[in-house]
Amino acid sequence: MEEKIAIQIDHISKTYKGSNSPAVDDISLEIPSRARFGLLGPNGAGKTTTINIMCGLLNYNKGNISINGMMLEKKYKKIRRMIGLVPQDIALYDTLTARENLRFIGKMYGLKGKDLKNRIEESLEMVGLAHTGHKQIRTYSGGMKRRINLVAGILHQPEILILDEPTAGVDVQSRNMILQFLHGLNEKGTTIIYTSHYLEEAEDLCSSIAIIDHGKVIITGETKEIIGSKKEYTDLESVFLHLTGRRLRD
Amino acid sequence: MRQLGTSIIKEILILIRDRAGLAIIFIMPMILIFVMALIQDSTFRKMDETSLSVLFIDEDCDSVGLAIAQGLSKSEMIILEKTYKGKILNRETLIRLVTEGKFQIGIIVPPGATENLTVKAEYMIDKAFEEEDFPVAEPEIDSSIIILYFDPVIKHSFRETMRISLGKLTYGIESKMVFDLFAKKVSELLDIESKLVYDPSGILRLEERSAGNKHTEIIPNSVQHNVPAWAVFAMFFILIPLTGNIIKERQSGSMLRIRLMPGSYWITILAKILIYLFISMIQFTLMLLVGLLILPLFGLPLLDLGKHFFALFVMVVATGLAATGFGLALGAIANTHEQAASFGSVSVIILAALGGIWVPVFAMPEVMQKFSLVSPLNWGLEGFYAIFLRGSGLVDILPWAGLLTAFCILSMAVAFYFLRLKKN
Repeated sequence: MEEKIAIQIDHISKTYKGSNSPAVDDISLEIPSRARFGLLGPNGAGKTTTINIMCGLLNYNKGNISINGMMLEKKYKKIRRMIGLVPQDIALYDTLTARENLRFIGKMYGLKGKDLKNRIEESLEMVGLAHTGHKQIRTYSGGMKRRINLVAGILHQPEILILDEPTAGVDVQSRNMILQFLHGLNEKGTTIIYTSHYLEEAEDLCSSIAIIDHGKVIITGETKEIIGSKKEYTDLESVFLHLTGRRLRD
Repeated sequence: MRQLGTSIIKEILILIRDRAGLAIIFIMPMILIFVMALIQDSTFRKMDETSLSVLFIDEDCDSVGLAIAQGLSKSEMIILEKTYKGKILNRETLIRLVTEGKFQIGIIVPPGATENLTVKAEYMIDKAFEEEDFPVAEPEIDSSIIILYFDPVIKHSFRETMRISLGKLTYGIESKMVFDLFAKKVSELLDIESKLVYDPSGILRLEERSAGNKHTEIIPNSVQHNVPAWAVFAMFFILIPLTGNIIKERQSGSMLRIRLMPGSYWITILAKILIYLFISMIQFTLMLLVGLLILPLFGLPLLDLGKHFFALFVMVVATGLAATGFGLALGAIANTHEQAASFGSVSVIILAALGGIWVPVFAMPEVMQKFSLVSPLNWGLEGFYAIFLRGSGLVDILPWAGLLTAFCILSMAVAFYFLRLKKN
């Protein structure tokens, strides 16, 4: 049976205004449906730019993107309902409670009534925040904020979930919970696109990866295949350091 | 519509939980109006009211002294003081009091003023009917000099008003005396009883009419200046919480999430515009209530709202839109809350100063009066002045409301341009 493609990126380039070098330079990627795909790279490699382009939040200079077989530029209204984004920052209103934040996001996606209420309560339960859902976000710990940030991205049950460093700065327990949660979502059919600097975590979660640097894809494929492709590759971190070097990045 | 309602509820929740923002929006301007109206009340009274205590010594003690005293007393702007601390004034005291600035004007009618004037007038009449064989000898009299002492700091307008009033009075006294003597002489020569009567009202008369509507006769006072002025100022100051809201939303990544939601990006912006417009209307209402209910309790005049409430509503909406548009533009341009807060507050203060919020435009130098026309706060203030002071209606305030609306449209165009620019 032919594998369904969730995201097809063909020769995408993006140069920001006032910049001489492209942030993304002729990138092509193919992410299968139901994949757990890791988009990895050092700081400034172009990961966030690529994610924003995939979500339709950023214009690109050339190339094509299709989501579930639909051209992003032409069917954006339909496509953006299919995508859930968990941004790097805690994209929530800190003076609103967790429930108020989720209610706002849910209603903006057209959810209402019992359906919305049930989804909010189920989501809060899944990330262990049902008992603190009435508290304002500003009172939450870093880990709690990350968990509610994650829930906010999946409330409308997207087919594709894009996560930009969802575990940055959280404790081991919260990180473990988030990763289990993502595994669970993927098993239910959600395509996961994930960026992180925690390579051990990425190796554990991602079935396939792409490592990008200076806006270019330097390797892409099945995680296990890549690690096993060379003797000197003992784990994902060794692959990463071998391909991107040990020079410090700004 | 559901999305708009959801966004509005979100904005309301954020606002009511931002206590500092609420204080900036509602409480600070009310305190500002209260304090400024009290502070400026005496200054405005000096500018608005025309009464002035004038020291007066009548050394003539005859018709001229009496006529001048009566003439000056008829004026509403002059209160004659013939005594000081219960004692009859003398020249030394009068000069000292004016020199010390305790009184700003002193008048001394010299002794013999009536007698000198009579002798001089009689000479003029006799000279007019002089016969060749009986030449009339010119009497040896000195001019009677009415002395005016002025405090050097007195306003030029008061000085001029006093000089003109006294000149008019002395001219009238002279004219009447000459006329009476002339009539008496004619009566003697013709051996008939004179029916000539001195009518000072004259044929050429002066009538003052207001160029505006009925409310023109209301004299602006500190309340009528300060309430609309600081209400406009407060309405523009909402840009601080508004820009903070926009920048925080952008920096936190919430805007990114919102932009991914179906059709919601501009709805969220529209919700902000509507909410802050509504806030500015509540602000204005609260400011009016301070002018109507609180300031009179402290001995300040009651705020007169005029009669055209629909025109008032239009002005409030136009001013609120201009303020919201300005805040939106600044929120879109600024990269940090610090940038927006410092530039926003300073720019509003400068525009307020230019626009006549601190010092009324009519009290500014001529050059600055021209500059005041570029300030949207001035457009707002002039519109409210027109309604409160001149009794103007909708048609009269449309130019001001139009300017404010145009400013709003321009600001929003700038905001949308920068929001799109930052998107890419």
